[in-house]
Formats: sequence, C-alpha cells, structure tokens
Amino acid sequence: MESLKTIAGLQTQLSQAGYVAERNLAVTMLMMESIGRPLLIEGDPGTGKTEVAKALAKVRKTKLIRLQCYEGLDTYNALYEWNYQRQLLAIKRAEAAGPAGQLDDDELFSAKYLLKRPLLEALTQDLAPVLLIDEIDRADAAFEAFLLELLSDYQVSIPEMGTITAKSIPFVVLTSNGTRDLSDALRRRCLYHFLDYPSFEKELAIVQAKLPALSRKLAGQIVEFAQSLRRFDLKKKPGIAETLDWAASLLGMGITTLDEAGAEQIQDSLATLLKTREDVLAMDHTTISRLVAAAG
Amino acid sequence: MEQVITAKITGFVSTLRENGFAVGVDEAGDTMRVAESLGVLSPKLLRDGWRSLLCARADEWHRFDDLFDSYWMPPNRQKMVETRTGGAGQIERDAGEQADGGKAGPVLQTGLDEAGANDDDSTAKEGASAGQSLEKADFSTLTQPEQTRAIEAVIRRFARRLQRLKTRREIADKSGRRLDLRRTMRRSVGAGGAPSRLSYIAPRRVRPRLVLLLDVSRSMSLYSFFYLRVARALAAELSDIHVFLYHTHLTHVSEALADPDPWRAQERLTILSSGWAGGTRIGDCIADFNRMHAGRLVHGRTAVMIASDGYDTGEAGVLGREMAALARRAKRVVWLNPLKAQPGYSPTARGMAEALPHLGLFAAGHDLAALEAAFSATLEVL
Repeated sequence: MESLKTIAGLQTQLSQAGYVAERNLAVTMLMMESIGRPLLIEGDPGTGKTEVAKALAKVRKTKLIRLQCYEGLDTYNALYEWNYQRQLLAIKRAEAAGPAGQLDDDELFSAKYLLKRPLLEALTQDLAPVLLIDEIDRADAAFEAFLLELLSDYQVSIPEMGTITAKSIPFVVLTSNGTRDLSDALRRRCLYHFLDYPSFEKELAIVQAKLPALSRKLAGQIVEFAQSLRRFDLKKKPGIAETLDWAASLLGMGITTLDEAGAEQIQDSLATLLKTREDVLAMDHTTISRLVAAAG
Repeated sequence: MEQVITAKITGFVSTLRENGFAVGVDEAGDTMRVAESLGVLSPKLLRDGWRSLLCARADEWHRFDDLFDSYWMPPNRQKMVETRTGGAGQIERDAGEQADGGKAGPVLQTGLDEAGANDDDSTAKEGASAGQSLEKADFSTLTQPEQTRAIEAVIRRFARRLQRLKTRREIADKSGRRLDLRRTMRRSVGAGGAPSRLSYIAPRRVRPRLVLLLDVSRSMSLYSFFYLRVARALAAELSDIHVFLYHTHLTHVSEALADPDPWRAQERLTILSSGWAGGTRIGDCIADFNRMHAGRLVHGRTAVMIASDGYDTGEAGVLGREMAALARRAKRVVWLNPLKAQPGYSPTARGMAEALPHLGLFAAGHDLAALEAAFSATLEVL
C-alpha cells in the first residue's frame, strides 16, 4: 500500500537530489518498482527528461547507466561486442607458445574478452541500476523491436556464451523527443509520463534549488522572463537548462535585479537563453524592456 | 478485490479503449494491481497512477483527466481540479489552494471566465433581430467548475425547500402522525364499533413542477450560459423539471441537460442548439409552448420561469395573448429579466410591456443572489 506519506517521502528525496517533482511523477516512479515496467518520458527539449533518470539514480543510491541513442545504433554498440584485438593477441600468444599454449573456443569467448555495452552492463549489476535509454526515437525501428524483447524478458543470449539473465531488474527510463513516432508495442509496455514546460512555481523552485545564491526577487524575475519568452513564437523555446544557464550568467555578471540591469546588458546575456539567430534578432531592446517591465 | 470495484475498473478501461486508448490485456491487469497498491480509496493517487499506466502518448495524457472525471466523478459534482495536470505541469503545494484550469480536452472546464465564455462570437447586443442564426453555440463552458459549484449550492438549498413543500390536503398514510377519525370509524363498523384498527393521515406532498423557458437569443447571450448552468444544476436535483430553450423556435432540452455524461449532454445540446444566439420571437415560442406542451406539463402547482430580456420581434399582441393563457394555466409565471438590474430600467420594450400584466413575479435574476431571491419568492406561492 503506497500511502501519500511514501509518495511525499519520495518527493522530498527527489528534491534533495535536486529534482523538483510533481506528485504524479513520484507516483509513477513508485509504480515502476511495484509493477516493474519501464518508464517512457516524452516532452519538449529542455523540460528535464534526462534529469528524471539522474534523480532516480540518486534517490535509489544506485548506478546510472546511460545509452544515448542515435541513428544507426546497433546491438553491438548497445549490448556487447567482442574485444577482437585482445582475442587476436591471445591467439597470437597461443601460437607463439606452441603446443603448450592451448587456447580453446570457450576461453576465447569468455567474459574476459567481452566488451559490455550499456544494456548488458545494466543486466549484470548486482544492485538494480537505473538504465537511461536517451532519445529512443532517434534509433531505428529495428533497434526498438530488439529493445522490446529485452525489456520484456530482461535477458540476452550471446550465441558463443549462452543466455545471460539479469541479476536484478534495472529501472529503465526511456526518453523521447518525438522526432519519430514510437511503436504502439513499446508504448504499451511502458509507463508513460509527459513533461510539459514547468509552471512558474515549479521553475522558480528549480532555479532556487540549483542556484541558492540568487536573490528571491531576481530569481522571480528571471523565471517570469523565461516563461514569457516561451509564449513568444520562437524557433527554439528555452528549456529549464537554459533558464538555469541564464540565471548563472546573470549571477556571474553581478546583476541584482533585471530592471536595474537595463535592456542592453540583458541582451548580451541572452546568448544563454536563445539559441538561434532568428530568435536573437526577434528580441530587440524594446521587446526586452517590455518583458522586463512585465516580469516586475 | 471486490467484484463491484473490479467491474467498475474494467468498465473504465473499456471506456478508455472506446476513446482510442491502446490498452492491452496486460495493462488492464496492471490497472488492478495499481489500484491495489495505491488503494482504491485515494482517487488522487489512482488518477496519477493510472494516467502513467494507461496513457501511451501525449494526446492521451492530456485527455485522460477529462475521461477520468467523466467516468468516476458523478455528474454535476465537484471535480477534483486540484489534482489535474495543468498545461505547464503542477508542483505539489499545500492542498486546497490550487485551482487549475487544466488542459481542456474536447469538453469540460476551460479556464474561461463568465464573460470570456461569450466574447468569441456572441457579443451581447441589446436589441433583437428576426434572422435565424445558424451558429452553433459553444457548450464547452457548460460545466465550468467554479460557477457551477456556486450555482449547485444555491440550487440544492432551493431543491430541499421545494421538496419539503406540503399541501394542506391530507392523505392516508400508515406512518402519519394524525388519526384519521372518519376512516377509523368506518373500519370499526366491521368490528362492531370497536376501533381496533386505526388509520392515520399525513399532509400530502405534491412536488411542485418547474418549467423553465430560457431565451438564448443573441440579445441574451451574456446570460444564456448562466441560465443553462442553473438549469443543469436544477435538473440534477429535481426530477420534475422541464427546460426549454427558445429563440426563433422552441426546443425541449430537459433530457439532454439531465444526461449524466457531461460530454454527451454537451453534444446533444450542440445538436439541439442550431439557431443559438439568433433573433427572438418570444410570442410565437410561448404560443408553441402553450399549444404543444402546456397541456401536458403545466398543472395547478407549476411555476413557469421565463428568462428573457423581453425584446420580441414577433407580431404585436401575440406575446400578451399567450402570456395570459399561460398565466391562467400555471400557478405562477415568473419572468427573470437581467436588464431589470440596471439602474433606470423600465419595462418599455413592447414584448416586456405586453407580458408584464400577466406575471406573478418580475425579477432581475441577473446573478446568483438575485436568482436565489427570485426562487425564494417563487417558493412562497407554490
């Protein structure tokens, strides 16, 4: 029975780990354990999808194993690979040693010559790690199908060695940016969480948690500014990470409040917040002054 | 887990399936496990848990709350708005202080306020037009939470008082307090005059009937949603209530309003509402009502409440004649005219002037307080 207390406890732990989580995310994290399903997180870039896995690893005091997906990712890069160089060396050494240096197949294909890639590594941990499969939408459908099999059985078979079953079931977190629609099969296997851009309160809490040196007023202004920027028709909306970068840079510049700083100084520092040329051009002095005035 | 709960949860899962959620057998099974581990008595947690379990993509994520509400929350009751995920996600604060509009799915709970609900296409113009409007009204604000709750509170008070109404007539009632002497004597005859079997009487309760005629023409557009919400709340509390909308013609909407599924209610109203926010022909509509419905619906204990500003574009004289007929039939005719609240208002509009002599009560009813006053006054005479 997961009571509100457990959930509140997890939320506190998460915030101690530097992650501000809503209750529904905390409930979901508890469910990952209780019903043993992977968690699929979707949302715009910069909303803290990857952070969820990091925070989870911190809270569970376990290892975070990360697999960054990209186009053309294959099982060799994701699961395991034989260390050919060492195998060749071993063969050469055996040849040089003559009949004394016997080397049979079993030894050649043993764990010694196996290069564990993230997926296999996650399966062979004693303490259940957090396995972060980042940007799964970038990998191709074939890999997704393979992953599906892995996530249902938590075992892999290596033809030369046999089947390896997971010592402990890892907490799997998948993230997706929506560059490609994932298959229904994979979606169905997973718990789902959608991360939106944070509300004012949440973002303020995050900024204050990460940058405690920031004054309450400046933090409020920064977050309000970032929130109103997101309402603009920008090419790339700033995420939480950008807000944090900007706050850090303002702190570095020794600015105490936005209205004192003036539009010019702010525009110079906006490089941390706006990442395309069009967006930077769209923010002229008047617009900035207006936003600052609105941010109060 | 109890059978009833299991069945209800299975029903929820199939509701989701009907709404295009891809929920497999595995998930359905896990739904129960989640319910067991989170406890079926904590709807907040269940909402969170099931959302992450049963949703698989962003659009489902955003629709889930509405589906959850419409399945688990009784219609017209307080929704658990504080647990809804908002557009920007919500952080856990002290419970109770959050009021979040949530993302509007196809229905329910948009964050619009009363004025905002109407400023899209139906700006209030004072004055009537005879043209039929083909616009369809946007009923999505029909179940707007805050106002609905306030209305419900008033309506519940009213309904309770209405149901307590008794007539002076009495009927035989086994659990009655007063002895029915006549009947007791008559029954004693068989026993040779010994009153061995006593009969009792109790005051007869006749539920007064309410008939609402709501003007939804363009000139009333500021108020029509308010009245509609009142009507929906009334329909949920009382069984003997009949609601009609009228503009250029009369439509019976009681059934659609009383639909326990707020989605379907809205859908049905939208279909019925063709001509919404168009011109008004009050006289003709009342005539229609008198001819087709009054005989069946209006009896001696019926209060007919008409909500209108009295701008009539029909023929002169019709409204007066029909109002007289209606007033003869009904116990009381109440006219709610939102304009009456304005300073310096006098009922000079032709329609209003024609109707005025036949009214039992002419009240403002432009907001909840005024409406409550009008209801109380109506109760007095019923």
